[in-house]
Amino acid sequence: MAKRVAPHVRTFDVAIIGAGVVGAAIARELARFDLSILLIDAKSDVGAGTSKANTAILHTGFDTVPGSLESRLVSRGYFLLREYAREVGISYETCGALLVAWSAEEFANLSKIQEKAIANGYLESYLVDVADLYEKEPHLGPGALGALAVPGEWIIDPWSTTLAYATQAKAAGAILQLSTRVERIAQSSHLHTLHTSQGEFEARYLVNAAGLYSDVIDREFGFEDFVVTPRRGELMVFDKLSRSLVSHILLPVPSSMGKGVLVSPTVFGNVMLGPTAENLSDKSATESSITGLAFLQEKGRKIMPALLDEEITAIYVGLRAATEHSDFQISLHAPQRYVTVGGIRSTGLTASMAIAEHVRDLLTQAGLDLGVHDSLPAIHIPRLGEATLRPYQNEPLIAANPSYGEIICHCERVTRGEVVATLASPIPPQDQAGLGRRTRATLGRCQGFYCHAEVRALLESKSGVS
Amino acid sequence: MKKSEVDVLIVGAGPAGLAAAIAAKQSGFARVRVLDREREAGGVPRHSSHTGYGLRDLHRVMSGPKYAARYISKALEAGVEISTSTTALDWAGDLALALTSPLGLEEVSASQILLATGARERGRNARAIAGTRPVGIYTTGALQQSVYQRHQEIGKRAVIIGAEHVSFSAVMTLAHAGVQTVAMLTPEARHQSYFPLHWGTALRYRYALRTRTELLEILGRDRVSGVRVATPRGEEVIECDTVVFSADWIPDNELARRGSLQISESTKSPIVNHLHETSRSGVFALGNLLMPIKSADQCALEGSSLLSKNW
Ligand SMILES: Cc1cc2nc3c(=O)[nH]c(=O)nc-3n(C[C@H](O)[C@H](O)[C@H](O)COP(=O)(O)OP(=O)(O)OC[C@H]3O[C@@H](n4cnc5c(N)ncnc54)[C@H](O)[C@@H]3O)c2cc1C
Ligand SMILES: Cc1cc2nc3c(=O)[nH]c(=O)nc-3n(C[C@H](O)[C@H](O)[C@H](O)COP(=O)(O)OP(=O)(O)OC[C@H]3O[C@@H](n4cnc5c(N)ncnc54)[C@H](O)[C@@H]3O)c2cc1C
Repeated sequence: MAKRVAPHVRTFDVAIIGAGVVGAAIARELARFDLSILLIDAKSDVGAGTSKANTAILHTGFDTVPGSLESRLVSRGYFLLREYAREVGISYETCGALLVAWSAEEFANLSKIQEKAIANGYLESYLVDVADLYEKEPHLGPGALGALAVPGEWIIDPWSTTLAYATQAKAAGAILQLSTRVERIAQSSHLHTLHTSQGEFEARYLVNAAGLYSDVIDREFGFEDFVVTPRRGELMVFDKLSRSLVSHILLPVPSSMGKGVLVSPTVFGNVMLGPTAENLSDKSATESSITGLAFLQEKGRKIMPALLDEEITAIYVGLRAATEHSDFQISLHAPQRYVTVGGIRSTGLTASMAIAEHVRDLLTQAGLDLGVHDSLPAIHIPRLGEATLRPYQNEPLIAANPSYGEIICHCERVTRGEVVATLASPIPPQDQAGLGRRTRATLGRCQGFYCHAEVRALLESKSGVS
Repeated sequence: MKKSEVDVLIVGAGPAGLAAAIAAKQSGFARVRVLDREREAGGVPRHSSHTGYGLRDLHRVMSGPKYAARYISKALEAGVEISTSTTALDWAGDLALALTSPLGLEEVSASQILLATGARERGRNARAIAGTRPVGIYTTGALQQSVYQRHQEIGKRAVIIGAEHVSFSAVMTLAHAGVQTVAMLTPEARHQSYFPLHWGTALRYRYALRTRTELLEILGRDRVSGVRVATPRGEEVIECDTVVFSADWIPDNELARRGSLQISESTKSPIVNHLHETSRSGVFALGNLLMPIKSADQCALEGSSLLSKNW
């Protein structure tokens, strides 16, 4: 297990900049060794950058570029995260995907995509004819010609994934330093000094998992291997009452125009529509746009007209860390004892655990002595998915603690017991959005009409007594 | 799991549900039970501390909480069983519901089930409004609870979206919290409330009603900094730190839909006959669940009279 360090110690074996899904996975991987670890993020919560706003698909990697690093890490990451989700209680559903062809050109492409899948080592895809497609998805809009089924594409709870990694890393002794922006990095022969908004930290080895800002951190070392262009992806989430409309992840057929818009169930029992794809220059531009939302509604109306009659419960924006290269930009700079993990654009959630293993190996190549390997402390993350029993349905749990029978967020059926437990968890939420990611409170159809004040009071009291 | 049986089971202890329960008792039903998922019975008026309730049914104008308290005590006197913190989750048969509460899970069957689950305002996402997602965005319903029940900090300058009755309620609630309403926006040519209400509120609280003005986008990263709007003269930005989405009602039709009751495409309410009976015999709908939004007293009168028509 990671070396425990006293609170005043500010020198670490490894520092990781960025507590997104990638940085948190790396911290967790390293925390099983005899190392002191610092995980640092500018935001007040883990996973509050791109990792909080994605389409939450556990990708098989069937359509990655064969032979690329991404292909290898997504395939391996898929397997690792699937096992991990089972182990710690992250919700997932094995719904499978259908790549729906809407034109003759797309239809012709399906068999090419199937060949690509095989080249990526994914052998289970198969073609679905029109009749079968509408039988599988009766609410699909008119005009579809057929599909390629990819049964291995699953959906997962993305927020609990990052939270689980960070919680386990912390339990194993890693230090989590939030609300701390790295502003400048100075190097001596054997130490990196991180000048941050909360003072200085030192580390022998450094991992840059800064997502959209990974190129900025690289410049501190004078590396100019890539430039990150934020690629905006806008997403709409529809009310739970729409969940019965769709059974599979409905993927568009990738074209020269990019990946396109999908319709997918979420593990929380909603349906998601998106994302858009638009290159921006501002890395903090997480606002949705009038044109983007109109575009999604138009697309959605074609893919599944009935979906658009349902209420929208959330609108999200995620910024992909796109670069001028198509592959992940992971590189070891051995003389500097520094690893860059950049350009983790659209598959980072799936690949996270494999990226972490890869980074661990790169660090050892640069001379990091991992020391003794130990098993990580067991943790358990509250399951938020609708496919398994929720606390409000759990009779023995309510009998043991009646607050698990008191629903306070009615639309998402979140109980007082869950909110109180979350406020006392190892990485507690700092705001309503963070509480929502951990419990779903306030994320439902009433948008706080009923529960905003109550939830806010609980959060402000912190102890959970309102 | 606990199983129980009553004569009349009512979901929602707002004015409509409570009035119907009282009437049911008075007309001789032995076991009448009202459920509400909130900690206290009373429905929306409970959150609405300003005056304006009770004219048509109690013949006296009073505040929302006083109005709610009157109905609760009348119901208790009449022998109605009220179960709070109790959510009707789903159907457990044609005339049975599955409940959850701190007491555990329960299935209740009844000879009549009344749905009085009310309505809510569409929030920012439901209206597909673009922009940032900062702190400082409310519906009137959420605002009222923050201000009157929790005394939470709101802000200084607010813009209200919508100009219906409830929008004026938002103005009063904001004023109570020390927030100035800088503008009330409606894409229509005029407001949709009574003129006296508008003039009275406008005179007293001084704000601009901006007709033919449409909200385009919310601005501000952490905290709302303004709204971008389209006016007949072009686009403009109104600076504010709070945005209240008022009106644009949607019935709370989840139970009705889960029970596959017939739903009106235009209002999204369950379709009922002249006796308020839905497409399932023995299941009735009333109050704001039907064609929102009515005033509380209208909902209560509907509840009281449901009975004389039906039984
Ligand atoms: C629209 C969209 C859909 C997607 N869909 C999927 C999907 O279905 N499946 C999938 O597997 N992947 C998907 N992805 C990709 C996935 O979300 C990303 O690859 C992943 O979240 C990247 O994680 P990260 O940790 O690298 O970046 P981030 O989550 O952005 O984390 C980087 C962190 O670094 C911090 N940071 C940056 N600079 C500094 C500094 N100077 N000091 C301190 N901290 C700093 C930031 O605050 C941030 O928290 C999608 C992405 C988008 C945008
Ligand atoms: C901000 C605001 C200001 C208003 N001002 C006035 C005014 O000044 N004068 C006036 O006359 N009217 C006013 N109204 C309107 C008035 O409040 C409503 O017309 C009235 O409350 C509707 O009554 P109802 O019984 O139909 O529903 P509600 O009062 O909405 O009650 C419905 C109840 O059902 C419960 N419920 C829903 N689903 C379930 C479930 N599955 N299980 C258990 N319980 C459930 C809810 O928790 C709620 O308590 C105002 C409304 C608002 C929002």
